[in-house]
Amino acid sequence: MWYHFFKFEITYRIRRPETYLCFLFLFIFSLFGVEFVFQGIDLGLVKKNSPLVIAKTMAAITLLFMIIASMVMGVPILRDHQYETQSLIYANPIAKKDYLLGHFLGSYVVLIFIFSGMVWGMALGGFMPWAKPYEYLPFGLINYVQPFLWVVLPSLTFSGAIFFISGAYSKNLILVYTQAIFIFVIFMLTKGIENPNLQALLDPFSLTTLTKATENWTIYQRNHHLIPFSGMMLLNKLFWFSLGVFVLIVGYFKFKMAVGSEKTFKRKQPQENQFETVSHNKLLPATKPVFHANAQFKQLLLSAWFHSLSILKLTSFWAIIVCCFIIIYVNSLSLGTAYDVDSYPTTYLIVEELHEMSLYFFAIILVFYTSEIMWKERDVHFDLIHDSTPIHNMINLSSRFLALLIIYILLIVALILAGITFQIFHGYFRFELNVYFFGFFLELIFFLTLSTFAAIFFQVLTNNKFLGILGVLLFGVINVANVHLGIGHVLLEFGGKTLGNYSDMNGYGIFLDGYLWVKAYWLLFGVLTLFLASTLKERRSNWSFKKWLSDRKRKSAHLFVFICLLLFAMTGGFIFYNTNVLNTFWTKTEKNKFRVGYEKTLKQFEYIPQPKIIKTHLEIDLFPSKRSYEIHGEYVLTNTFQEPIQAIHVQKIVESNVQLGEITFDRKVSSDSLYSTYEYIIYNLDKPLNYGDTMTLAFKQVLEAKGFDVKGNETEVVYNGTFIDNTALPGFGYQKKYEIQDEDLRLKFDLGPRIEKADRNEQQAVQFARSGSDSKGLLLDVIISTEAPQTALTSGELIGHWHENDRNYFHYQTDQKIIHFYPFLSANYEVFRDSSQPPSSQNMVNLEIFHHKGHEYNLDRMMEAMKMSLDYYGRHFSPYPYKHLRIAEFPRYNDFAQSLPGIIPFSESLGFIMHIQDQKDVDMAFYITAHEVAHQWWGMQLEAAHVKGQNMILETLSQYAAMMVFKSKYSNQKMQQFLNLQKDAYKKSKLKLKTTDPPLALVESQSHIYYNKGALAMYEWMECIGEKNVNKALSNFLCDWHSFGGAKSKDRYATTLDLLQYFRAVTPDDQHYLIGDLFECGEE
Amino acid sequence: MDNLIITKLSKTYQTGVQAIQNISLQIPKGMYGLLGPNGAGKSTLMRTLATLQAPDTGSIFLGQLNVLENPVELRKVLGYLPQQFGVYPKLSSEMLLDHLAVLKGIMNRAERKEIIQALLHKVNLYEVKKQNLGEFSGGMKQRFGIAQALLNNPKLLIVDEPTAGLDPVERNRFYDLLSEVSQQTIVILSTHIVEDVKQLCTNMAIINKGEVVMAGKPQEIINNLQGKLYQKTIQKSELDGYKDAYRVISQRLYQGNQIIHIISETHPGSDFKAIDANLEDVYMSQILNA
Repeated sequence: MWYHFFKFEITYRIRRPETYLCFLFLFIFSLFGVEFVFQGIDLGLVKKNSPLVIAKTMAAITLLFMIIASMVMGVPILRDHQYETQSLIYANPIAKKDYLLGHFLGSYVVLIFIFSGMVWGMALGGFMPWAKPYEYLPFGLINYVQPFLWVVLPSLTFSGAIFFISGAYSKNLILVYTQAIFIFVIFMLTKGIENPNLQALLDPFSLTTLTKATENWTIYQRNHHLIPFSGMMLLNKLFWFSLGVFVLIVGYFKFKMAVGSEKTFKRKQPQENQFETVSHNKLLPATKPVFHANAQFKQLLLSAWFHSLSILKLTSFWAIIVCCFIIIYVNSLSLGTAYDVDSYPTTYLIVEELHEMSLYFFAIILVFYTSEIMWKERDVHFDLIHDSTPIHNMINLSSRFLALLIIYILLIVALILAGITFQIFHGYFRFELNVYFFGFFLELIFFLTLSTFAAIFFQVLTNNKFLGILGVLLFGVINVANVHLGIGHVLLEFGGKTLGNYSDMNGYGIFLDGYLWVKAYWLLFGVLTLFLASTLKERRSNWSFKKWLSDRKRKSAHLFVFICLLLFAMTGGFIFYNTNVLNTFWTKTEKNKFRVGYEKTLKQFEYIPQPKIIKTHLEIDLFPSKRSYEIHGEYVLTNTFQEPIQAIHVQKIVESNVQLGEITFDRKVSSDSLYSTYEYIIYNLDKPLNYGDTMTLAFKQVLEAKGFDVKGNETEVVYNGTFIDNTALPGFGYQKKYEIQDEDLRLKFDLGPRIEKADRNEQQAVQFARSGSDSKGLLLDVIISTEAPQTALTSGELIGHWHENDRNYFHYQTDQKIIHFYPFLSANYEVFRDSSQPPSSQNMVNLEIFHHKGHEYNLDRMMEAMKMSLDYYGRHFSPYPYKHLRIAEFPRYNDFAQSLPGIIPFSESLGFIMHIQDQKDVDMAFYITAHEVAHQWWGMQLEAAHVKGQNMILETLSQYAAMMVFKSKYSNQKMQQFLNLQKDAYKKSKLKLKTTDPPLALVESQSHIYYNKGALAMYEWMECIGEKNVNKALSNFLCDWHSFGGAKSKDRYATTLDLLQYFRAVTPDDQHYLIGDLFECGEE
Repeated sequence: MDNLIITKLSKTYQTGVQAIQNISLQIPKGMYGLLGPNGAGKSTLMRTLATLQAPDTGSIFLGQLNVLENPVELRKVLGYLPQQFGVYPKLSSEMLLDHLAVLKGIMNRAERKEIIQALLHKVNLYEVKKQNLGEFSGGMKQRFGIAQALLNNPKLLIVDEPTAGLDPVERNRFYDLLSEVSQQTIVILSTHIVEDVKQLCTNMAIINKGEVVMAGKPQEIINNLQGKLYQKTIQKSELDGYKDAYRVISQRLYQGNQIIHIISETHPGSDFKAIDANLEDVYMSQILNA
């Protein structure tokens, strides 16, 4: 008998288009599955079709599209209820067992069929034209089938059982539709579990379990082993599978073959009252229906409120909200930084966190309640009554749209209150309500609004709740694809881009202008789709556009559409004018073409002898409010090569709104514009520049920001917090930074593999401290002005400053050579000052921290680090050369700190807002400062050759130095905590590596090696041979290889070959193996 | 008062079913009964009149108003109670009426309140106006349905099989209310119960298989049959034979025997008894004719 129901279920589903659409949807989605699930995550050497990656992808897709499972499994019993065939069926003498089992198994088979779309989609994904063969293993079907059967199937069994039973038991459609969220909540809740084993056990989709079960796997295992059937995986799968079976059994016993939902029995009986003749003879009062514009507006508002109230009365809605807040509560708001230290709960951080956590729920509400609100009349069979009312279609749709907005706004207000509560709880009382407002009402609400337009449109277009939902999901996927594969213009990307980072210093900067225009453009588009939807809704068999257009009664509609179209075109035009006329818009293809051409044409000049700058004089006028500058500069150049220099190759920075004009030389030149496409001009000298001769070059460079751009890169010259460096100025010769870095693109364009850093023994390369270095040390003289009250900063002593025409002028000058790397900063700063007298130095050093008002939390820690560092390094390495040391804060568009001569630009997001709790945290504000100060030695005094191992000299030595300072302040226990952090960070990033680890001495750009592994290796070595010996080696190395006046640095810069000699010199012979082990051996 | 004039209305569904064919009717103020068996096309006609679905051909005018071209204008003066409808279970009747009043353009809050209170009194739901509609019985729901249809003082009130599911007492009261409304309004009532039409309607039409088979005042229609109707009591087994020989329009059992009504221009024989025509006979004769 059960077979009868089983067969019925299957045949019913076979005839339903949804079955195939769902299958197709998962199939298509899975084609990009790995790319989607692992976006932004580097798989390293693990292949995209290794069983582990496939398993994780499948598990994640299953989790994401639980909705489909709930729609398939939740409905069979409900269907009988809905079509009111229940009484007929239940009246027959059928066994409950057969009835439930048949329907369950039938739906379950269909569910497996639908989700098997993943297997075929993913398998085919490896053969798509965009798949790169080297990212894949040879094809093996088992790699797909095994994870599906072992990882996905038990999850589907569990969730299917839950959905089936709750659908049968509650007979509530919206519950069926939304219960996928509850599973999602379970998943999110497991993420809050501290115990990793428990977490792995309780993850219903086995994502954490997979990570846990394979945490000690080698790359080979990750690529070749199937998902294990033992250990944690087995326990996890057993647990959820048996829970699924348990649910089925309990559900079976609870289910009653009776008409009416269980609830009906509890519900109070209808309070019957008779149709009495009470006042039959009284005439009904007359009403005067009105339909003028004002009345329609009122209709709109009242209906919107009515619709939102009806959502607010839904239990399912509140269940979603409760889930959302449970998740926020359980996972808490993570304020952790990369260094395991929490930040202060600043409002923008809270807003970003709340966004991230609530987005899923907003998406659910959007998708479900759009479909709910669109078909609410149809669902309860109230549509005939509703549709016979004279409400205008556009008002009708708009009121539903508004109702959804009201719901979003209510939820947002709740989120804001939650955020404020969180801040109060953390003792943080600087509630920036404007930031809350902007963060939610400028960012989120626009996103939701636009998506709601789309969702309503798809509901109307498909005229079917289910297809509408599928349409929206598909639309979302297409949008993501468009962002990645399209030409990248905001006018063609639905909704445009997100608003850039908020910074305490610069607010939303210029982002806001472009952002708002783009949103206005898309909002108008949205209104038009809403209008289109409303005409679609009333479409009749004989509807035609021509007829509609000539319909006189639709004059106001015509006008409305016309105005919207006009505004749409106008905003579009205005945006285009800004992005493509005032600014230059490059498609990805154009960008690549430029880079390829640059490399192919100009690579020949990479090492041609060019003069070196020995003196730079600059007059810089910054106009932060206009995001512009004007620079007059003069370089004094000299030839350091034996052969005479015939031509000077000037490379202007490739940036369309930067103009470089009036380059003049102190001698006759003829310019050659053959390569002007690349902003690369060759000036042939009439009289060559001989070895040791000098000449001058003067230039004027102007940055003129025009209108707004929406590329999101306008983060350098900004309203408050300008930060640029000398690489923005004209340079000489080929610039490696314009080369394409992505290996796949290089392959595609026929470029050889990019050599990031040359070998240590390459003669030419070791003469450069950075790619295309224009100087071997120079004197700098800068007069820099900015708008009052901002302060402008660069390297050098401040030898004068004055105020003129509401502008602040500063004159900086170096009294000794500095490396060719210096910044320009300007912001409205507060200054925290102190001074110190480092050992073996004549001068007092003025210590200054230029910071944003309100970011005072860690100034003392940073100041102490500066002092202790100057002291330690001055004592053990060499004297500190300058009379000043400045830290200058810049906006959080980047989150690094960087050392330049005498000045350390320090990101707003890095140390300034860290909430360091000495009990549990490592004082990273202190440590980072010490590290950066160490660069005043390792980098500023000793530059390393731009070859392999360069970063070991610059970064690893700075890590060592900083650790020594840290050790002198903090306990051994804190030091261990710090080292453990390094160990964890190292382990984590090792997994993502594309190649095997090089040894420290040959490190290129692998930061986990020169930072994390470097710190560990140096510390270990230091413990073996003693701090004193290490310092001796370093001070000797520095002395010999000092960039300015070192005995050995005449012709070339130091490499790790040199450094390790000094290491060996202080290491006892019987411990020489250590040097090899720690610094010269890579990982297997 | 304007009449509702329906001219040559036809609708064929995509499945090929001809729901209504070439229907032309003139409907004046007062109660108008649409009588027909299930599936005759009554509901399609009603939905078309209520502008909820467009016909393939034909026209509908309410006075000067071209309904098919200005559906919204008609809806402004329309009250419609569909054959089957549901309600939002979690809303009170008062709230839903308020919403519908807004949709119907009654934007003055006081006016809205007044008409809703009056209607709730009229259909005796005033006491339960705060109660969730989900807790209403079938009869209460039907009363709610008529209340909503009357919100905007309609000029045209369409009620589709309104008394299904009502007990006899309720049904009578329901009709009282309808006939009161019909003093001012065109009320189109569809039903398959002949008695209803006879009691209430000043005008009527019989629809079968999508076509109007007869239209007029009930008494005139009855008069057409006057003198042509005969009755006879026969054995059950004889039925087929009589059916072949005469135009049998109705048959019913009476104490184990079969009573048949036949139509005949001339007296069919002495064993037949001439009887007075009633609407039921007219209806049956029309339905079986087709």
